[in-house]
Amino acid sequence: MHHDNGIWVSTDDLMREEKFLQSAEKEFSIENIAETDGQWTASRRDFLKLLGFGLGAATVAASCEIPLKKAIPYVTKPDEIVPGVANYFASSFVNGGDYCSVLVKTREGRPIKIEGNSLSGVTGGGTSARAQALVLSLYDTRRIKQGGTIENGSVKPLSWSDLDSKIKGQLQLGGQVRIISQTIMSPTAKKALAEFTAKYPNSRVVTYDPVSSAALLSANDQCFGKRAVPSYHFDKADLIVSFGADFLGTWISPVEFARDYAKNRKIRNVKGAKMSRHYQIESHMSLTGSNADNRILVKPSEQGAAIVALYNALTGGSGGPNLNEKAAKAIAKVAAELKNAQGKALVVSDSNNIMEQVYVNKINELLGSYGTTIDFGRASNQRQGDERDMMRLIAEMNSGQVGVVFVWGANPAYELPNSEEFKTAFAKVNTRVSFSGVLDETTLLCNYSAPTHHILESWGDAEPKAGQYSLIQPTIAPLFQTRQAEHSLLEWADSANLNRQDDQPYYQYLKSHWASDLFALQTKYATPTAFWDMSLHDGVFEVPAVESAVTFNPAISLNPSGVTQPANSELEIAFYETANIGGGQYAHNPWLQEMPDPVTRTVWGNYLSIPVSFDGVNNINGWMDLNDGDNVDVEINGKKVTCTVVRNFGQMPGTVSIALGQGRTAGGCGVGYGVDVNPWLPVEGGLIQYFAKDVKVTKTGTVDEHFACVQHHHTMGVQAMGKEEGTVINADEKSLGWKGFQGSLTDRSIIFQTNLDELPKFVAKLDKFHEKSDHLNSQTLYPDRTDVFTAGVHWGMYVDLNACIGCGACQIACVSENNVPVVGKKEVHRHHEMTWLRIDRYFYGDIENPKVVYQPMMCQHCENAPCENVCPVNATNHSMEGFNQMAYNRCIGTRYCANNCPYKVRRFNWLDYTTADVWPANEERVFHVEGDDKPFYADNLTRMVLNPDVTVRTRGVIEKCSFCIQRVQEGKLTAKQEGRAIMDNDVRSACQTACPTGAIVFGNVNNPDSEVSKLKKGALTYLVLEEINVRSNVEYSAKVRNANEELFS
Amino acid sequence: MLLKRICWVFAFVAAASLQLQAAPTLEEGKNLFIANCASCHNKNMKDDMTGPALSGVEDRWSAYPRKDLYNWIRGSQALIAAGHPRAVELWNKWKPSPMNNFPGLTDDQIESIILYINSPPVVPPPPPGGETIGAEKSSGNMWLFVGLALLLGFLAFAMMRIIDNLANISRVQAGETPVKKTWAQIAGSKGFIAFMVFAVTLIFGYKTVDNATLMGRTQGYEPDQPINFSHKIHAGVNKIDCQYCHDSARRSKHSLIPGANTCMNCHSAVKKGTISGTSEITKIYASIGFDPIANKYIPDYENWSEKQIEDLYKKWIGQEYVSANSLTSLDDNGRSEVQSQWDGVVKALKNDSNGRIQGPIEWVRIHNLPDHAYFNHSQHVAVGQVACQKCHGPVEEMDVVYQYSTLGMGFCINCHRETEVKFKENGYYQQYERYHKELKDGTREKVTVEDIGGLECQKCHY
Repeated sequence: MHHDNGIWVSTDDLMREEKFLQSAEKEFSIENIAETDGQWTASRRDFLKLLGFGLGAATVAASCEIPLKKAIPYVTKPDEIVPGVANYFASSFVNGGDYCSVLVKTREGRPIKIEGNSLSGVTGGGTSARAQALVLSLYDTRRIKQGGTIENGSVKPLSWSDLDSKIKGQLQLGGQVRIISQTIMSPTAKKALAEFTAKYPNSRVVTYDPVSSAALLSANDQCFGKRAVPSYHFDKADLIVSFGADFLGTWISPVEFARDYAKNRKIRNVKGAKMSRHYQIESHMSLTGSNADNRILVKPSEQGAAIVALYNALTGGSGGPNLNEKAAKAIAKVAAELKNAQGKALVVSDSNNIMEQVYVNKINELLGSYGTTIDFGRASNQRQGDERDMMRLIAEMNSGQVGVVFVWGANPAYELPNSEEFKTAFAKVNTRVSFSGVLDETTLLCNYSAPTHHILESWGDAEPKAGQYSLIQPTIAPLFQTRQAEHSLLEWADSANLNRQDDQPYYQYLKSHWASDLFALQTKYATPTAFWDMSLHDGVFEVPAVESAVTFNPAISLNPSGVTQPANSELEIAFYETANIGGGQYAHNPWLQEMPDPVTRTVWGNYLSIPVSFDGVNNINGWMDLNDGDNVDVEINGKKVTCTVVRNFGQMPGTVSIALGQGRTAGGCGVGYGVDVNPWLPVEGGLIQYFAKDVKVTKTGTVDEHFACVQHHHTMGVQAMGKEEGTVINADEKSLGWKGFQGSLTDRSIIFQTNLDELPKFVAKLDKFHEKSDHLNSQTLYPDRTDVFTAGVHWGMYVDLNACIGCGACQIACVSENNVPVVGKKEVHRHHEMTWLRIDRYFYGDIENPKVVYQPMMCQHCENAPCENVCPVNATNHSMEGFNQMAYNRCIGTRYCANNCPYKVRRFNWLDYTTADVWPANEERVFHVEGDDKPFYADNLTRMVLNPDVTVRTRGVIEKCSFCIQRVQEGKLTAKQEGRAIMDNDVRSACQTACPTGAIVFGNVNNPDSEVSKLKKGALTYLVLEEINVRSNVEYSAKVRNANEELFS
Repeated sequence: MLLKRICWVFAFVAAASLQLQAAPTLEEGKNLFIANCASCHNKNMKDDMTGPALSGVEDRWSAYPRKDLYNWIRGSQALIAAGHPRAVELWNKWKPSPMNNFPGLTDDQIESIILYINSPPVVPPPPPGGETIGAEKSSGNMWLFVGLALLLGFLAFAMMRIIDNLANISRVQAGETPVKKTWAQIAGSKGFIAFMVFAVTLIFGYKTVDNATLMGRTQGYEPDQPINFSHKIHAGVNKIDCQYCHDSARRSKHSLIPGANTCMNCHSAVKKGTISGTSEITKIYASIGFDPIANKYIPDYENWSEKQIEDLYKKWIGQEYVSANSLTSLDDNGRSEVQSQWDGVVKALKNDSNGRIQGPIEWVRIHNLPDHAYFNHSQHVAVGQVACQKCHGPVEEMDVVYQYSTLGMGFCINCHRETEVKFKENGYYQQYERYHKELKDGTREKVTVEDIGGLECQKCHY
């Protein structure tokens, strides 16, 4: 049953299902390629006709006059702009409590790319997929162009002065005023709000977060008298225990945590290698769980019991709710380890139950974590919301006291579990004003729209953690007639501090706040102007952390009956946030929708993860014999919804799980995908719980026709002829019965993994493997190439599988940098996704609770590239600097190269995805936002996101990772202009700069002092498919885990 | 028109760093010189360029207070107007090109620049031979090919005759009658027809492909421009450096058509053209909003009506007509001249995309590369030190600019094959250790762009 190297990608792979083998065989799925739906009935004859017409048309066109092109200079050229040269501006990505300090790359005044800001003490140059996708949302065609009244689902425009007088009139009526917001991290926005509430004393701000951390805040309030999220230092912890907290993907501050976490996971030196150990206790495979050394499976309702069990094991106490036996045993072992890691341990939980969080605090206190791995000196402001406040607001609105409600950055009509109640209550409010930039679910219920700027058009600041400030500056003039929400509030509050004569009143307001409140915190700059200029240049400003020792309130009593009691139900469901879509705030971003979920690898929607079972002998079955893409009816609390199933390893038996944030009904491209699970969320003591019991799942017998899971696309498999005539088998060594065949999926050297305690043995094994491959590869067709490659600069990449957490930031960065088109769910279903960089997810170990390796896979730029010598027109060939080059304008689309690529990284433009205007049939097929006539890329506003340095590929050509050639060219030019050799910082690929953990390093391998050369010498490095002698330029470093192999024995 | 909105972008670093500077230093002087002066004044300090050579500038101003020199640099026109003797002397020598004003430079900064001028860097001598401008190598192989073709044709004919004769000899020996083929028979034979079909296909195919590559090429393209701007007068007669106006050629992939504010550097003083008088320069004024009568920019020009603009510039044109023809008032000829010049202004500036006089001048783009070809001016101008004329031809002789080269791929490739890189001068190429060794050993003569990968696809296509 087990494959020789124990690596697999899915159930179908493990079972050698026919479907999998077929999909592995095909580079591209061409099923349905000629399917007829009344629009596209092309036959070969049609093709020839069109071809003939095309040639004729081209000839006629060529004889005509060449179209007149204009070159329009500036009237007065701004000094800081050199057309053709990018400008970078420090700013911040802020969405509620999500934060990332960024540099915005602009070309001719148009933001096109997000980079991390390495000056930030919080994110340190890392980014997330959400931050990377920020630029696309700026150019969203659905943005409200001008504020006004909302009638029949659309905005009837009003001038700002008319809108101001109307709203001020309503405010003066004297009813209660409420402002519903997400977490606000901006000190200046808070000041503006304070002015507003001072002007209207009957007003109050109600804050909640789309995914709640309210219990954590309350528990810290009770235990330490501080209603805040503390600072967690994953880099200082040798032992990390997480109860369900997805701190690498979504929890509080994932970019910061991922960076810190990876510091203790990278192995630079095999001798005396040390790593932190990470236990994850959860029911479904989260992104963080997939990175853990050991996962302990508990049902969602047992989470509390597990926390109490750990506490008891540490203190020698007893009692508490029942926990499954396997987990209980494992937790006792974890406790024993924790005791030895005093001051170097960190326990976190995402539970939204106050008593559970109190227990976690107590455990951390026992372990001496406060002051070492946790501190309140840099308390985080990234979660401040409390949904109990929202529940109170609903009651207030129902009682008719509330006259005006402003909705700012929140979407309660979608996000709340009791959104129906909210809608009824909201309707009783006389004046409902939304600051939202799009007509989302809540805005449609409002009667006024006062759209705020996009973050890239805004001025602002943020204090994500105490004493760590960050500025937001506009990188483009507002595209539409929008006005910043803070400005609107100050306007309505008749603020005397708002300079209405100024072009940008809120900019002046912000600047004066920094001069009055923050300038005094530093001594480096003598004048407020110098302080402001430098802070704006850096994007961040930090004051030294304040020591903040905490003492655990002795009056707090720990009561095991306060934690969630394990449910006695057959089936439980966990609801989780994904790294790309969040709680739904990012559902309208096509890049994020098309980014595969790291674990399930599904796109465009949320899918019900079901467990798989292994009979111990031969068979692996999806729960209830369900298959990927089957539709089931899920009923919870009488609410029945049809979901699509995906089988998922690591899902605990007796549980299922599904992501939040999908099933949106208004506001953008996310409409029509997935199901809205918010109505299923139970509320306990006012706090939203992210799991439910008593779940009924029934088969429907139908399937999702366009089930979009990239799991089996572009699999590195190989087929061979069987011993019997006409049979095709998967060619692993076992089935062929002889040794030495280079090529099957299972025995190919794709993933190397080991455990920390076996490292020396593993290195010896790896060395042997290198030796064997060297022997196989001693021959080359191009013996003189070595001379060429060593002549000047030679590029190479290093990917550390130990540091890669699978978060997907690199993938979105690549999409953004290289104009990779969005193709939509149907096209993904047909294997047509265009991403140049995919993150392969492999399993190994115990089949029911496996371990995971993520492998970013892009063109390997082989020196002996198999794609190059099959191209009939030499459209792909090799450069002396090591690039496997792709000349689009030479490609005739035979796809031989893609078929011959062992890594399956070449993508074919089946349609004109980006230009979307060639033939009507093409327009029909490419990605449309639901309800739009025009294709996604047909609008000039959307096209503003394109990188002008990268060609937009047309239909019929192959494309693939170019190692960010445009960045290489730019970096080389800079070095030449300065007359010096190339340095590491001159060229950094888009994936490299996006990575929060530094897993990807790119550089000149001919320079022995470059970072990439040094890393490539590491003992753990290997080439994927080293044995097939393609001599790739990307080296991977093997995955090493620090697992406790004795945990379940 | 988003591009116009970018004035919103904020760059503070430069300003901040200027404020922080103190006490003149050579380093600062160098930076300031390159940033402010180098576009007009020669970097070797010895030769005149657009502006005079700066070596010895201190001596030349030594008769006057130091402050006068500062004032000259900050605002030369004012000093000339005030009748400062040295200023007037300079103006008389260099007019009509006025010196740009640098009101932002502090005394210390000017001292830094002078410090730098007094210790000019060593400028490497120009490479021997220099750039051969616009020289085409004539193909000397043509006659060789013709000769070879004739020889081969003759050989083929001779072989044919020999084979026929041999066949006839064998026929005679076999007792048959020898066959004497007529020309018609030869022309009708299968072999001949097959050969002709082959040859015709080959020639037509070659010609088709050859001509197809010319599709979309616009060599010699010489469109009318909104302003009858003459490069001959500016670059040829007045010897203004190309990069004075096309200043981003050394920094960016685009060489950039200068904004109207760049024209105003000179044309705030030079108000009438050598040939065109007021007719063309008025177009610049109308674009940017400069009042040539009052000699100042119009503050709220954006909001002016077309009538207001018309009145102002008609007045200006008329006034100049009157003074040029020594009249006292506008005559009939003058009125029609004013009207026709104003019509020219409207035609040049008002267009579909704008609809009003104010705003940018929309030039017709002459040099167009296809989207999939990447070209970077900076790489060629700053790094390769290729003369502009190498691709653009003798622009300094053109009254109306036309596309000089084919700008086809063959044109680029040929140049990359032939051009030597600045291998020893530029520190970047130190990395090519093997080539350096080979040059030293004498096994390599030169390093061309081709040798460092200049023919590879992804140098230009990505």
